[in-house]
Amino acid sequence: MTDSGMALQMEKVSKRYPGTLAVDNVDFAVHAGEVHALVGENGAGKSTLMKMIAGAFDDYTGRILIGGREVLLHSPAIAKANGIQMIHQELSLAPALSIAENILAGRLPARGLVVNRGAMLAETRRCLGRVGLDLDPEMPVEEISPHEAQLVEIAKALGNNPCILVMDEPTSALGREEVQRLFAIIGNLRRQGLAIVYISHHLAEIFEVADRVTVLRDGRRVATRPMNQVTPAALVEMMVGRSASDLYARRKTRPGAQKLRVENLSRYGFFHDVSFGIRAGEILGLCGLSGAGRSELARSLCGIDPVDEGHVRLGGMDVTPRSYRAAIRAGLAYLTEDRKAQGLALRLDVAANILSAIIPRQCTAGVYFGGRGRGILGDLVRTLQVLPPDPSRTAGTLSGGNQQKVLLAKWLAADPEVLILDEPTRGVDVGAKVVIHQAIGALADQGKCILLISSDLPELVGLSDRILIMRKGHLIGQLPEDRRSESAALLAANGVGDLEPA
Amino acid sequence: MSTVRLNAEGAENAEKNFLQKEAGTPGKTNPRLGLIAFLRLCLSRSCRGFFSIFSLRSLRPPRLSLRPHSPDWGLVFVYALVLALVGAGRAISPEFLTHKYLMQTALAVALLGIVSVGVAFITYSRHYVDLSIPGIMALSGIIAVSALKYGFIASLAAGLAAGMAIGLANGLVVGYLRLNPIIWTLAMMAVLSGVIRKAYGGAQVYPDAATDAGRAFLDLYHVEVLSIVPLPVAILAILAAAGYFLMRHTGFGAQLKLAGSSYEVARMTGVNVRRAVMAAFIISSATSAAAGILLTSFNKVGAQYVGRGYDFAAITAVVIGGTTLAGGRGGILGVIGGVMVIALLSSVLSLVRVGDFTFGEFEKAIVQGVVFILVVGAGSYSRRKSGLDDA
Repeated sequence: MTDSGMALQMEKVSKRYPGTLAVDNVDFAVHAGEVHALVGENGAGKSTLMKMIAGAFDDYTGRILIGGREVLLHSPAIAKANGIQMIHQELSLAPALSIAENILAGRLPARGLVVNRGAMLAETRRCLGRVGLDLDPEMPVEEISPHEAQLVEIAKALGNNPCILVMDEPTSALGREEVQRLFAIIGNLRRQGLAIVYISHHLAEIFEVADRVTVLRDGRRVATRPMNQVTPAALVEMMVGRSASDLYARRKTRPGAQKLRVENLSRYGFFHDVSFGIRAGEILGLCGLSGAGRSELARSLCGIDPVDEGHVRLGGMDVTPRSYRAAIRAGLAYLTEDRKAQGLALRLDVAANILSAIIPRQCTAGVYFGGRGRGILGDLVRTLQVLPPDPSRTAGTLSGGNQQKVLLAKWLAADPEVLILDEPTRGVDVGAKVVIHQAIGALADQGKCILLISSDLPELVGLSDRILIMRKGHLIGQLPEDRRSESAALLAANGVGDLEPA
Repeated sequence: MSTVRLNAEGAENAEKNFLQKEAGTPGKTNPRLGLIAFLRLCLSRSCRGFFSIFSLRSLRPPRLSLRPHSPDWGLVFVYALVLALVGAGRAISPEFLTHKYLMQTALAVALLGIVSVGVAFITYSRHYVDLSIPGIMALSGIIAVSALKYGFIASLAAGLAAGMAIGLANGLVVGYLRLNPIIWTLAMMAVLSGVIRKAYGGAQVYPDAATDAGRAFLDLYHVEVLSIVPLPVAILAILAAAGYFLMRHTGFGAQLKLAGSSYEVARMTGVNVRRAVMAAFIISSATSAAAGILLTSFNKVGAQYVGRGYDFAAITAVVIGGTTLAGGRGGILGVIGGVMVIALLSSVLSLVRVGDFTFGEFEKAIVQGVVFILVVGAGSYSRRKSGLDDA
């Protein structure tokens, strides 16, 4: 059945966001019956390219051909009508509805106004059969496991009889057995002549499942190669490109004595038996793939999520947190990766946000003296170069980069001993990034401990004094000083290369 | 006040008559004093920021400004509405703006104001409203009357404590167990109303005017502080000042503001959000209890229906005053403005006469409901357009 015709061709496509060219003159083509992997660092343009295929933009430039015919993918409906289906990292299932209602959403078989139950169940069983699931079609989605939900999601996409299937990190919610099952399904689909775009950070998976790979970097296409002509190291080299670590000046101050000690910390199901220390004035980088347990470790470390086992000691005192509030009082703080939902009160002004973590400190006997925060507020707005430099502006009206500065300012105001930064520069422009990096360096120079979690490898390698590698919930070691590079970090996160004990 | 018939209908009617009569009969004193006071209030508080747009701000180089300058448009809106209604009332009746008349209008809505000051804390915290307010008012009133045999002070304390106990229950359930505030307080209202009927066998309780405590209780509503300000108005003034201070100048107020604008952010900032939400419900129950006791004193009877309608009237006042249902915005000054709008709207409508048509209670209820819908609708529409409500 294999058809070597082109299912999808993109010719010189570009997409400009205000201020950045996210996809720059990219050529990308997928054969029918091919699994084509798309790799690149965060911000390389993978997701923008995929959104383009899914019809999210009506202002891209360049040509897109499907089955040799030129189409304008200007809306998600047009993309669907052309046989394109996406499987996202986040599930798009409605938990309270049954599996059948989810899979057949929008196309329930009906006689007049009444749902044809028999046809619905039969069609659902057929779809589930394609992904090797044997579930009751009338079971609500909230009652099935995350693994099964991910497969139901795939069944839903297949139910629309796509000719092009885009999978974005489809294995992040799956266990090892389900991954094998998924690969078998993908093999089947390939034989049926589907064109599959497979996005993943897990290099091992790509080598197992893909036929060809396209590498993106900074919005441009670096190369397209058959899988059997590249090695993991070569792939990583292409993704990382020039060594950006040179942009980061090494800090002069050396870390002092060990201050924070994490001992055998576990949260069952998320991370296990993690032990490490951070010295005063040290920036410790935490590297790992999505799902490796980095954020989960950080959240448990400061009491947002529970700890099942282990201890946290700060300067000799046991500060194993029972609640986030207790952790903050003990001197820990967590800068969230989800700025919009958990970081900033976007409807309040910049001043209220920056001062929000130190409300108790501005009070005497419960009475709030807003004036006490003025000095610290002015200092932070100036040093972080928040634009516009106006604390009465509503936080939601600032640009992403300036919002991120405000979020950092909020925790700098709290003056914690240990600051955990989870993706501190996600989605910010280069200018804001530099300012944020300087502020992080300055904080370390004051003798604070910093735990840096970042998927931005140049940032992680450039800022950190040491880099620990997490993989599948375990801390597997420390990157040796002489091999500290972006490629080594990425390979280590994929389980390649020797590490020192942490 | 004419003789009050001692049955359920009588007491309800008495209250309505009272509101109508007090609001509809202007006396005769200097009409200009009130207008000037209104103008000064509006100019000093809300329009300072408005006029600042005429300054040369845009010509200066950008610099760090530490003074808030953007006007609170909600506040501007509500006091503009107050001025418009005053203007309309004055156009219809030249005696509209007399001192005595204003005091009567104030008395007519003092209880609503007291309730609204408390409700504002719940709305500010993004938990909309406490629908068990009528139940709390009835309960505190009836408990206060029942406790009169232990003395006047004990009666007031018992009434307040009973109301605040309900607030504590609401606060624990909504704050700590995170149940939906609308559904929970609606259920609480149904339970309270049933409990009161069951406990008193459907009967009403009357303060015994033969005892000192009973007389003191019946006089409560009619006491005039310094022999000019009616007690309910004085209590409203004190509670409004306290509420303003609590919301604007305490750590609790700052935390409630953060929780109201984003619950998740407040939690991730280390704020004890649950305690703050619980406190908001307790504050609301305390002001409702106070209003309930005063209303019972005025009605001269404690009964299950006392306080009916105050839940909706209060949320209307709060929302007209610029405290949005989305939380974290507004304040007590706006709430007082909202209460003034409701009072003035009612009395202006009483003055309107087109041929044979006049605004009775039903028509006024319709107008009040429509105003609420318009304000909520226009408010959320404009904020969505300006992209400020995505958080």
